[in-house]
Amino acid sequence: MIAFVAKRLALALAVAVAVSILSFMLVRLSGDVATAIAGEGAREEDIAIVRATYGLDRPVLVQYLDWVWSLLRGDLGTSYYFKSDVAGLVLDKLPVTLKLGIASLAVALAIAVPLGVVAALRPNSWVDRAALAVAVVGQALPNFFFALVLVMLFSVTLRWLPVSGSTTAWHFVMPTIALGYYVAPAFMRLVRAGMIEVLGSDFIRTARAKGVPERRVVLKHALRNALTPVVALTVVQLGYLLGGSVVIETVFALDGLGYLAYQAISHKDLPVMQVVVLILAVVYVLLTLAADILNAWLDPRLRAGM
Amino acid sequence: MSAQIAPPVRTAAPAAGRRRRWARQGSLVIGGGIVLAVVLVAVFAPLLSPHDPYAQNLTARLIPPVWYPKGSWLHPLGTDNLGRDYLARTLYGARISLLIGGAVALLSGIIGTVLGVAAGYFGGRVDLVVTFLITVRLALPVVLVALAVVAVVGGSLPLVILVLGLLKWDRFVVVMRSAAQKVRTLDYVSAARATGASTPRVLWREVMPNVLPFLIVTATLEAASAILLEAALSFLGLGVQPPLPSWGLMISEAKPYMFFSFWMIAIPGTCLAILIFAVNLLGDGLRDAISPDGRNSP
Amino acid sequence: MRRLFGSLVLSLALAATPALADKASNTVRFAYDQAPESVDPLFNNVRIGVIIGAHVWDTLVYRDPNSGEYKGQLASAWRQIDDKTLEFDLRRGVKFHNGQDFTADDVVYTLNFAAKPENKVTTQANVSWIARAEKIDPYRVRIVTKEVFPAAVEYLAGPVVIHPHEYYEKVGPKGQNEKPVGSGPYRITSHVVGKSVTLERNPDYFRDSPKGQPAIGKIEIRFIPDGQTRMAEVMSNGLDFIMSVAKDQADQMGAVPFLQVVSGETMRIAFMQINRLPETPTAPLQDVRVRRAINHAIDRDTMVKQIVGTGSRVINTICFPAQFGCTDEGATRYPYDPAKAKALLAEAGFPNGFEVDIVAYRERQQTEAIINYLRAVGIKANLRFLQYAAMRELIKGNKVGLTHQTWGSFSVNDVSAGTPVWFGFIGEDVTRDPEVRDFLKTGDTSVDPTARKAAYKTALSLIAERAYAVPLYSLPTYYVASSDLVFKAYPDEMPRFWEMSWK
Repeated sequence: MIAFVAKRLALALAVAVAVSILSFMLVRLSGDVATAIAGEGAREEDIAIVRATYGLDRPVLVQYLDWVWSLLRGDLGTSYYFKSDVAGLVLDKLPVTLKLGIASLAVALAIAVPLGVVAALRPNSWVDRAALAVAVVGQALPNFFFALVLVMLFSVTLRWLPVSGSTTAWHFVMPTIALGYYVAPAFMRLVRAGMIEVLGSDFIRTARAKGVPERRVVLKHALRNALTPVVALTVVQLGYLLGGSVVIETVFALDGLGYLAYQAISHKDLPVMQVVVLILAVVYVLLTLAADILNAWLDPRLRAGM
Repeated sequence: MSAQIAPPVRTAAPAAGRRRRWARQGSLVIGGGIVLAVVLVAVFAPLLSPHDPYAQNLTARLIPPVWYPKGSWLHPLGTDNLGRDYLARTLYGARISLLIGGAVALLSGIIGTVLGVAAGYFGGRVDLVVTFLITVRLALPVVLVALAVVAVVGGSLPLVILVLGLLKWDRFVVVMRSAAQKVRTLDYVSAARATGASTPRVLWREVMPNVLPFLIVTATLEAASAILLEAALSFLGLGVQPPLPSWGLMISEAKPYMFFSFWMIAIPGTCLAILIFAVNLLGDGLRDAISPDGRNSP
Repeated sequence: MRRLFGSLVLSLALAATPALADKASNTVRFAYDQAPESVDPLFNNVRIGVIIGAHVWDTLVYRDPNSGEYKGQLASAWRQIDDKTLEFDLRRGVKFHNGQDFTADDVVYTLNFAAKPENKVTTQANVSWIARAEKIDPYRVRIVTKEVFPAAVEYLAGPVVIHPHEYYEKVGPKGQNEKPVGSGPYRITSHVVGKSVTLERNPDYFRDSPKGQPAIGKIEIRFIPDGQTRMAEVMSNGLDFIMSVAKDQADQMGAVPFLQVVSGETMRIAFMQINRLPETPTAPLQDVRVRRAINHAIDRDTMVKQIVGTGSRVINTICFPAQFGCTDEGATRYPYDPAKAKALLAEAGFPNGFEVDIVAYRERQQTEAIINYLRAVGIKANLRFLQYAAMRELIKGNKVGLTHQTWGSFSVNDVSAGTPVWFGFIGEDVTRDPEVRDFLKTGDTSVDPTARKAAYKTALSLIAERAYAVPLYSLPTYYVASSDLVFKAYPDEMPRFWEMSWK
């Protein structure tokens, strides 16, 4: 187990390094950073000064290491556009996005698990096909389009829910649904497939033969086993949700990380852009690390596989 | 890591074989039929559309579709905010969506297949490197990175295809890797290797035909996802640029009108949803045809 | 589907009992599409920053938007000492929001700070005319201009606000953005960067201010990027006031009974720049016939009538008609004539047109219409739609051939605040004609109004004749607000919350 954890940690670290290089490169894509910082009406001399003060005249490798070093010390840089501390901005917005991500995940699981179980109990019945249809239709509906339809129905027409902002729990209802419904199908398929597999296995047959009530067989024995891969998928989907929240947060002007990222992107605010990408990536790496260790702990066979 | 995507495993196929066959063929027929229809529409768009999709007429703007009291058969689906024929734009929009879906699936399919087959076939260090690459790729938030690149470089159709193609190969690798691992142990592949056939030859002649079905299924599903992503980018104004008639862009331009002229957003929105639905259904049907439990991809 | 929604929206939105807006709490809820770079007017060049700035800070001089007359605000009187020196008597008893008294030190510090290029005030043209400010006594200052600069008072009535010197020196522009302190009719009680700004009535606002005493207690400003989200908010009574609504949407919302739509012409003009420099990415634009063809290709009259809206008019020179020095007399005109445009292109050697990049940052629908007009004569324009700052960078870097620009002249009613920005060899001048520059310079720096007018007229007609740009039209603005709110639309696009009240 310790060897496994050590290996996984090493991989996570390597990935984090790679991701930081990519985020750093993302900014260089846009051309001369000094010109961007110097801003409006800057003359050549001004740009040269900026280049020297920000150390942009040094070799790229040195600049990269310097950037990583300041990141490690907790200095995430200064936003070009908002002219304030990136760390402060991010910390300010992160809770909203986390709330949205976790709530959407909960919605997705609440839809997917019962549907998946029911579908698996009677594979290829009309229940199963209906569940599949829900999944396929759900995945076909673009979430930004769905979000607008929600706004139209619940805010403009019925006036039940506020359109935009993040001040109360009500503000999160529509964004959560718009984001959550979209990942539900993937969970549903996974639960269904897992349940079918487990229900056909020997130990379930044994349990049934021993006269364990069906309800108990399904909920206790089968579901528990079928949910193991769901943990891993949850992590992958949380990563997707954090990224996908850019669109939804923009539609609902929800003041989270995705909305900040959108503002940064449209104003070419490079320091914010690279930090947001990096943070989302690192969060993902940490979550997968946790999930892998959790899975390995739940299911010792997986340790050998690494 | 997090290789939750297990290789296709055959478990006891339950009863109701006839119904299941119908279900499988049903999705194949419906999905494939709709996709074929969209392809035909795209190919014959110039013949089908009554007007030039780019021709604007500022004096004939926002005419509603024909089923509204103010609609007319001159513009069966009405005209947009610049007086361009909505039917023509919708028909030509199918081209853009299919082009994006197809090109992205092709590009990411090539990258993913090369990496996945190499990892699955050679194993060992190659596998380790590919695992590392895919983990890095999965850690990057696709929407955000795509938005950032497009914003920095400037949106255009080729750029959107390139960016999405370079970002969406992960699932190909996973599927191809496990498929190649399985094929590698098949008797006749081992035999071919034993008789001294060169590695590229074995890969091309023996491995590829075996993994092809998985490749096609994955490509179908990835095409659908690429079309949706393009629509999302265009929706935020950072995808393809006007006046190109992309459905995502049409939705984006119809947004301000949605509260009073819902048809403007509903037409491209519905087209997009139907196409994605059909492509996904087709992918599902194909997947069921090759692995009845649909376990190879969540 | 469409029946369901169409009828639901109309019937329910129309029948819904109009709530009393936020009249009860005397709060106006206002949303704008983007957040300001900074609320400090010296470090901002977007409209919302100008609006917030005018509420939180005061200027030496106030220009009455109704009469156009200058009135003393922080200054009580002023006089011209010589060609380059102005003297101001300052008002006594004015306090900043932090309780400090306003004195000559504040004026001197702010102006000298702003005038220094290394302090990087965002729009250098607003302050680069200042040589220095000097304190004569605690309530008297002199401002010396670098050259003769007749428009000085106009600038001092607009973008050049006065900061509290001790506080500003201590916290700098960054601190002033986070915890702003001004002397205006409203003070900022909360600024969540990128999300919202809350203004509350300044209870100690000085009695004699020409702005008067505000009636609205609180203004909540939120930044909502999506137009239809702002629309949904105002239609569901989540907002009381939105501005810069597009014509089509304003027309539609006009039918909602609890909303009012107010429109009017603004000083903002729309135009296209054509990069003809040796470094241009689109070589054909160096040919005057091509530039004229572009001018002939666009049907501005139809655009104004159909998509730009009420209050807009076609312009023929690059300035707002009411600005001092602006005229289209004697300027070459280019009526809509696609056939002629094609002929000119063929004559220039481009019978099949060419490809060009065009940048824009607002009025996307109008840009698209322009692109389609250009397409009709064979010019394939690729749109790059960007935020303002990003767009400027591209223009300055000679990365694009065409721009679809708009300019509000910072509401300064003088050509010097507009045309020279584009033709005076500053960053975004993509034509750089020394002759034009020199005439503009003469106009900017002559004392004699007739000489100024003559110089501007020559410059403007040279620009038109050489087709360095495409003058399009003045832009109207549409406000959609709760029908209980009493307000007026001004050409300077400045909602004056200090004047507003409830019905």
